[in-house]
Amino acid sequence: MDERREDGRPGDVDWRERRGADPSESREAPGGPPTEERQEPLHPAIEDDAEETRRLAETWAAPTGFVGWFTPVNQRIIGRRFIVTAFVYFVLAGLLGVAMRLQLAVPENDLLAPDIYNQFFTVHGTAMMFLFAIPVLEGFALFVVPMMIGTRDMAFPRLNAFGYYVYLIGSAIFFLMLVVGMAPKAGWFNYVPLAGKLYEPGIGVDIWTTMITFIEVSALTAAVELIVTILKLRAPGMTLNRMPVFVWASLVMAFMIVFAMPAIIVASSLLILDRLVGTGFFVPEMGGDPLLWQHLFWFFGHPEVYIVLVPALGIVSTIVTTFTQRSLFGYTAIVISIVATGFVSFGLWVHHMFATGLPHLGMSFFMAASAMIAIPNGVQVFCWIATMWGSRIRLATPMLYVLGFFWVFVMGGLTGVMVASIPFDLQVHDTYFLVAHFHYVLIGGSVMPVIGALYYWYPQLTGRMMNEVAGKISFALVFVGFNVAFFPMHQLGLDGMPRRVYTYLEESGWGDLNLLATIGAVVLAAGFATTMVNALASLRWGAKARRNPWDAETLEWATESPPPPYNHRHIPIVKSREPVWDWREMKERPVVTGLRSDRREVVVTSILDAEPQAVQVLPAPTIWPFLSAVAASVGFIGILFHPIFFVVSFFLAFFSFVGWFWPRRPWQED
Amino acid sequence: MRQYSGADVSGLTRFSKQKHPLYVGILGLIAIELSVVALLTVSCLYLMLTAPAWPPAGLEPAPLLWPSINLGLLIASMAAMRVAGNRITAGDRRGLIVGLLTAVSLHALVLVFRSLEMAAYDFRWDDHVYGSLMWTISGFHFTHVASAIVGTLVVAILAVKGYFTPERQLGVVVDTLYWNFVSAAWIPFYLALYWGPRLI
Ligand code: HEM
Ligand SMILES: [Cu+2]
Repeated sequence: MDERREDGRPGDVDWRERRGADPSESREAPGGPPTEERQEPLHPAIEDDAEETRRLAETWAAPTGFVGWFTPVNQRIIGRRFIVTAFVYFVLAGLLGVAMRLQLAVPENDLLAPDIYNQFFTVHGTAMMFLFAIPVLEGFALFVVPMMIGTRDMAFPRLNAFGYYVYLIGSAIFFLMLVVGMAPKAGWFNYVPLAGKLYEPGIGVDIWTTMITFIEVSALTAAVELIVTILKLRAPGMTLNRMPVFVWASLVMAFMIVFAMPAIIVASSLLILDRLVGTGFFVPEMGGDPLLWQHLFWFFGHPEVYIVLVPALGIVSTIVTTFTQRSLFGYTAIVISIVATGFVSFGLWVHHMFATGLPHLGMSFFMAASAMIAIPNGVQVFCWIATMWGSRIRLATPMLYVLGFFWVFVMGGLTGVMVASIPFDLQVHDTYFLVAHFHYVLIGGSVMPVIGALYYWYPQLTGRMMNEVAGKISFALVFVGFNVAFFPMHQLGLDGMPRRVYTYLEESGWGDLNLLATIGAVVLAAGFATTMVNALASLRWGAKARRNPWDAETLEWATESPPPPYNHRHIPIVKSREPVWDWREMKERPVVTGLRSDRREVVVTSILDAEPQAVQVLPAPTIWPFLSAVAASVGFIGILFHPIFFVVSFFLAFFSFVGWFWPRRPWQED
Repeated sequence: MRQYSGADVSGLTRFSKQKHPLYVGILGLIAIELSVVALLTVSCLYLMLTAPAWPPAGLEPAPLLWPSINLGLLIASMAAMRVAGNRITAGDRRGLIVGLLTAVSLHALVLVFRSLEMAAYDFRWDDHVYGSLMWTISGFHFTHVASAIVGTLVVAILAVKGYFTPERQLGVVVDTLYWNFVSAAWIPFYLALYWGPRLI
């Protein structure tokens, strides 16, 4: 069954060999168990030399200690930092949400002053979107993807580290504004003219614009990293057609970031110019146009919701496959749907602007396009159902969160199709119906899969398992709490309760449902808190994870939990979509040899077929990315006070980049 | 589990040009910046097409002469970079250095002309949105030309130190990529800012 070359030289198998015509059939290996046929193995087995392994670990080890904190570049360390930091903001922004709900629990409450309430919803929305949702999904992608495609690091490890420090600095400064009471209050989409100098004279919006731009730089670096790593560093044999769905989803997310984030960067740069040096892009008296902000913002903002949805869909596919122990039904259909979602989402931004009086014909187009996005999403839901149909589903916590996702996300999708229709949208625009809708999509479509992912990949993150009982309790609280909190908001919206109000009158009759929503929000928060505590406690008391604890099929599980610094002892060679299950059956596997262990080498493969092309030598840990991030932040903060900082940080950044890229002697030979 | 060697990569090159991840990475960076260029251009067109008069009443469209000369210089600099790349492939280090420095001088000349031109505008960025656009887009491109210059100077210094060889020239290749982007980005701006007002 293995087609071997005639000459049979060791190490000369055609690694492209396929076991069946269709990889999905590969479970039943034709020709019976391979070991019996093979009296005398043609390929000598490789024995791992302990000395070599030790050298490999030493080469890839991350530095430790205080100074060492600023220098590591290994992808798993950076990914984990992204995840942890993002969850910190999830907790903080979640507390703001609960505080708002407490304020709204009863009519004419005075727990939060109006000004504080405005700061809270702005920071809550901004932080959830920019500081939590995107970074956490990027974090999982950075952490999982390289292992999943069978390599040892990202293509540009130092850039990766740079992105993290940028995110850390930018987000910390943004959040600190709340502590000093000067946070922005123009909402997460920061509409002008409300966000213009006239109505928001304080420094809050300045910080919003510069820090969001800054944080998006970090998202963009991660996106380029992911694209290049996925296209160029896949294990030999992992053709595009065999790439795990999560990797596809990360790839699509990364491309969407590349084309969507520049819009928010341009928008906020123009706004900061308006605010700092008096340009007139959004100022009608000077010939500018506030609607330009809305176009630019939503050209980013709509894809943004899919940026946080698409990788979550990848997580769902991953978990469904593992917990049903079946090949994913309709792999091709799912991949096409993910890619289609990515494309279509760039044509929908105007549906956020139905109430602005744009020309009717144009709006009808966007209405039809918006309804269309339901199709690829529907296809995926059916594929998942088909995969689960009749299988024995293992109901562990990650799978529970996925099941919760189905219900909540489908609900959110339904209300999405409703608000995509212009007449209905005009009715519920800016009411609590919208708040209900987008929390259904965001929490259902993104947060629940992310929590599932946390339970699922925790063994690879820490080497331990999270507690299952606490996980199930957490899921129950989240599921019930969520629906109790947000379902009534649909009705409140239909009853006319506007969003972004700090209180409402007794006579409005909205009191009961609001109280219910608040109770739900507290239960929901308790559910999330259970998971957070579980994650912390399991660090210490969690059961030690064995290798591949969920019996998954993708390569990140082909190594220990947690993986050694080099991820894979040997870079594996892949012949189907489910390599780990194949090996379980075949009891042997082909790997790459010939990488040096005394420096960081990875295999570069071709984009489509993943044929080995070259070897890339990756850089070692260094302080320069951190210094570069500091240099850049000097500029971003400094310009708020004086334009000269633009020039200062241009040169600071320049010198740190030179330090970063300057080749070290001995210049690499061979 | 039994493991056997399925591919031996010890013989594969450690130097590659177009196949190197960094090459793809720079393409990614350029894709990002191209989006920025496109969005700035589209914003410019949007404001231009919705304005009652462009440029605002009483103003002449900015003169064409200097921006057109700059366009020529930028294109010439791309040719110089290309020659530089060919020289090092042929193993000619001197040729590489001369090519790089020629390109840098051309870009420097662009910066000088641009500065003189902008100093002569009879409007400021805070007069009206036309002024805002002229200054912002010019500033954006100016900064990029400046960073291409300093980046290429570093490459030139490395060339002088003998770092580049016919095999080891990835640095030159990716620097040229970015250089070409910076030079070509002028084309949409040039059309939108200088020809736009004349054509509508
Ligand atoms: C514990 C969970 C949560 C609670 C209790 C909560 C509650 C709230 C409340 C009360 C508002 C303000 C409504 C208003 O006055 O208009 C709000 C707005 C918002 N929430 Fe949440 N939320 C939660 C989780 C999330 C998550 C996970 C996300 C996104 C990933 C999110 C995204 C937003 C956004 C974008 C806004 C709009 C902010 C604005 O109007 O500018 N929320 N949320
Ligand atoms: Cu949308």
